Amino acid sequence: MSGKLATAGVLLAGLAVGAASGWYTLQHGMVQGDTYSGWSGSKVTGSVDADPWTRARVAVSGLLALNKSQAIYFSRNTDDSGARLREDCRYRVTGGAMPARWWSITVYAADNYLPLNDDDALSFDQTEAQPTGKAEWTGILSPKQPDGEPWASTNKAGDYDITLRLYQPTPQAQQDYDAIPMPKVTKLDCGGAA
Amino acid sequence: MTRNLKLLALFVGAAVIGHVGLVMAVPHALMKVAMNRMSGDGARINQFSFGPRTTKDSRGVVRPSPDLAYSSCVYDLSKGPLLVSAAPSPNQGYVSLSVFAANTDNIAALDTTQYPKGIRFVLKREDQVAPVGMQVVNSPSDKGIILDRRLAPSAELFAEVDQARRADSCAPVKG
Repeated sequence: MSGKLATAGVLLAGLAVGAASGWYTLQHGMVQGDTYSGWSGSKVTGSVDADPWTRARVAVSGLLALNKSQAIYFSRNTDDSGARLREDCRYRVTGGAMPARWWSITVYAADNYLPLNDDDALSFDQTEAQPTGKAEWTGILSPKQPDGEPWASTNKAGDYDITLRLYQPTPQAQQDYDAIPMPKVTKLDCGGAA
Repeated sequence: MTRNLKLLALFVGAAVIGHVGLVMAVPHALMKVAMNRMSGDGARINQFSFGPRTTKDSRGVVRPSPDLAYSSCVYDLSKGPLLVSAAPSPNQGYVSLSVFAANTDNIAALDTTQYPKGIRFVLKREDQVAPVGMQVVNSPSDKGIILDRRLAPSAELFAEVDQARRADSCAPVKG
């Protein structure tokens, strides 16, 4: 009897450890695809070609994501220096012409939902961020509204990340993510410094 | 093989099954949760529901875009194919209809760049028959979700596309 109990215990322990390792893998993003200038994205997001780990990770952190023929998604939680994005810091996001019909940049809290603030500035997109004289567009990530610039609020965002959406990407962008001119994320200051 | 080695092998085997089993089950489980939420626990099947403007309080599906207006149809093909259609937005703004199978795969995405006068297709299982001449999408599962996404980055634009999307249809093929 004790032998059967021991066997059952080992079986249950193995299943539990395996399931826990699977959940840890999905929660901690160990299947993130490749990195492109600090942004991570997978070519098989939403695709029938996705492996089971990618499919499960997308289900947890991006359920109902489109495949790359319709939209490409990139995310990052660091600035261009590699430092973790912080709620109390200001960052300037700059980019050039994006190879897509429409793009947007959105702030997401650690729970994969939008930050719980009332700033009505959860993202900025192509319709707001127009090219400047240098043929670049800029936007600001910060907890307080900047003067006269497109803004995504990081107020109450905690350990946040940002997602770049490229809708109706060009065929070349779909084929070669390395050829996409990824936006830069530069830290300006932290803690309310001028 | 000693008893301890047998138990170790059993532990490792069970751990592999637990790991892979969970990874395989998660997409189906989360889709089921999403389908229940979107259909009002099954009350709205094979019909579109029109979501409000995305805000910080939008908690139905992870990572919603605040720049898009979402409408959803939870489908069930067990009783036959569906005719799905979406009218264009004013000024030819971005509109897409995307179909997700029960395992989360995005099995089709059609947009108004391809179909500027509106998107229209029959959604069916492989072994079901569609009317002749119709665009067809075959689903590998009876159940899943169709999403209508429309560009609406401001309250004004949202109000405009909200009017247009009310013409969307997701209903059994007649006759």
